[in-house]
Amino acid sequence: MTISPDSWAVIGAGPHGLSALKALLERGIPAHGFERDTDLGGNWNYHAENSRVYESTHLISTKPFTQFPDFPMPDSYPDYPSHWQVHEYFSSYARHFGLMDHLSVNSEVVRCQPIGADAADGWDVTVRDRETGAEQTHRFAGVVVANGHNWWPKMPEYPGQESFTGEIRHSAQYKGADVLRGKRVLVVGAGNTGCDIAVESAQNAKNTLHSTRRGYYYNPKYAFGRPSDQTADLLLALRLPLALRRVLFKTTLRLTVGDFTKFGLAKPDHEFFETHPIINQQLVYYVGHGDIAPKPDIDHFDGDAVHFTDGTSAEVDLVVFATGYLAHFPFLDDAWLNPEGDHPVLARQIFTPAFDSLVVSGLIQPDSGQWTIAHWQGMLIAAYADARRHDPAGAQRFYDRMIAEVDQRFTGGADYKDSTRHYYEIAHQEYLRALESDLSALESVPA
Amino acid sequence: MRLWDWSVPPHGVHREVLSSVPQGWEDEPRATRTPPLLFIHGLAHGAWCFAEHWLAAAAQKGFPAYAVSLRGHGGSGGSQQRRRTLMRHYVHDVMQTITELPQPPVLVGHSMGAIIAQLVADRYSPRALVLLTPAPLQGAGVTMAELARKRPLAAVKVVAGGTLPMGSGQLFTGLEEATAEKYVSRLVPESPWVQYELLRRRRIGPVRAPVMVAGTKADRLVRIADVERTAAAYGVEPVWLTRVDGSPLGHDVMLDDGQDRALDAVLEFVSARAM
Repeated sequence: MTISPDSWAVIGAGPHGLSALKALLERGIPAHGFERDTDLGGNWNYHAENSRVYESTHLISTKPFTQFPDFPMPDSYPDYPSHWQVHEYFSSYARHFGLMDHLSVNSEVVRCQPIGADAADGWDVTVRDRETGAEQTHRFAGVVVANGHNWWPKMPEYPGQESFTGEIRHSAQYKGADVLRGKRVLVVGAGNTGCDIAVESAQNAKNTLHSTRRGYYYNPKYAFGRPSDQTADLLLALRLPLALRRVLFKTTLRLTVGDFTKFGLAKPDHEFFETHPIINQQLVYYVGHGDIAPKPDIDHFDGDAVHFTDGTSAEVDLVVFATGYLAHFPFLDDAWLNPEGDHPVLARQIFTPAFDSLVVSGLIQPDSGQWTIAHWQGMLIAAYADARRHDPAGAQRFYDRMIAEVDQRFTGGADYKDSTRHYYEIAHQEYLRALESDLSALESVPA
Repeated sequence: MRLWDWSVPPHGVHREVLSSVPQGWEDEPRATRTPPLLFIHGLAHGAWCFAEHWLAAAAQKGFPAYAVSLRGHGGSGGSQQRRRTLMRHYVHDVMQTITELPQPPVLVGHSMGAIIAQLVADRYSPRALVLLTPAPLQGAGVTMAELARKRPLAAVKVVAGGTLPMGSGQLFTGLEEATAEKYVSRLVPESPWVQYELLRRRRIGPVRAPVMVAGTKADRLVRIADVERTAAAYGVEPVWLTRVDGSPLGHDVMLDDGQDRALDAVLEFVSARAM
């Protein structure tokens, strides 16, 4: 494999890695992708070691915004495709755009080393062949980090947890309902994964407890016959203000699902849009059937018992921590992307103040589908890489402006609850508008 | 920002895609083989107009050729919803067809199909973009005014939501009456909303693919000045399609006498600029 030194390396072949690779190649910028697994797809490659999708995973957003705008999902797919269909979709995307000729699988990036002051001479990227263990180093002009942020488990610690006599596993190790069958299960966390697993547990386990720190809005996948995310986009298209959208959403929830507290669920302690949306139509249903018992936060473990902050306790065989994931870049120095130790500092969620030739794609958690944004992040990265070749001074000015705006967040006016999972939270339309104007700023740089 | 596509997405309908692929093309290395051509028809036509001569002729010269019938046209479904069909539904149909092709195609749009090809190119990077007797992206207001002056009854019909009346006189300059009438009889009603949308001015993002714009000096539907403006928007010189004797073709350059030379001009451009 020969790689020219003006190439860009793309780390990871999930949706963000693939779209960045495509955008670079389409613009005539040499690029090469590296994927540690035997196949592309990243999180959506069910059999991969670091894939966190489980047997029943389906999209929680519908096709129109979730798909790549230049490669829509087939009409034959349902509104909410399964992870198998998503993987098939990424495979046909890669085939159509000829990405496989520019992608090495079984190739784990173990180190990215900047060469020269501020990586002025590029990057040495060391890649380990996962079959033979042999390592090779290639010189690149720049690096796109797209290794995902939903694979490195975030484990909570409670008093007595280490001497708990039952089984504890993170949702990262959850691939299907087999492990739940006949057990007394406690699911911790009300992200979309936690809610999915609580529902599967209700269907399979002996009994199910669901511990959450706060009350949430459990949004249905459909209301009044329309997918919820399309309704959310419709209200944005009609330019309704945040306050009115909140009223409409809460009214819809009340009319279609009802008052959560009547099911024994905690009352939400925050406004709509202040936490990442939960899309789960079944959880409330199983609570109503007594198959899921809502619980507050865990206080401590004691033998085979779990004590909760409201003073209640229960004996449990299996605890599933659906407590989320942290961004993790084992091939970079921690200080580069994550100087404060607890979250990456990025402008537009893409550009780092550390280096102007190291960019990130996919470190986002939109209140919507995601891959339309993956596409435009890739387009912006490619336009930036192109500008660096044709107009280094213009590219530098653009980069400096990005870094000057490093603190800008895209919250759509909401005040997100402070939690590690909201470091990446973005209001999708506001964020895309910013990318759109950045892209036209770059396009106006004369070639 | 495609707010309406995200919030009220088009539903899929059955799609007719006619094709002619040279033998053994699939086995050639993707990097060096000829790119596929995807033909997009205009107002009231269907994939059939390209199947008549061009698909087989292009394949004969080594180009895999595909033509899609937009919903409500040709053998595609959706004619029941014709009166609710918008231009973005057609864009959806073309995008769906593209995802089924083995690699990015050259988009060849004729008349209204040229508008659709440009709207597709706004979100998807084709190998090249060929616009034949293109309906004006700047909006067909002047065309409409001329229509009102020269054919007032036709203009009234269009305003009332009827399909633009197109006879052999508007479409052809060199066909025998029987052949011309046979083609005209295959035209189907068009969505009134799509016709109204043609009046609207459109802006599309920068197109990085090579562009060819071709018109004819005898076109009675698309104004010569509009062809020139379209070409100027892409910074290219318009190509004027003629027969061997130098006489200009009619609007339907894929059917009129001299269509073989029109196709040659397209293939010559593709060979020179998109290989």
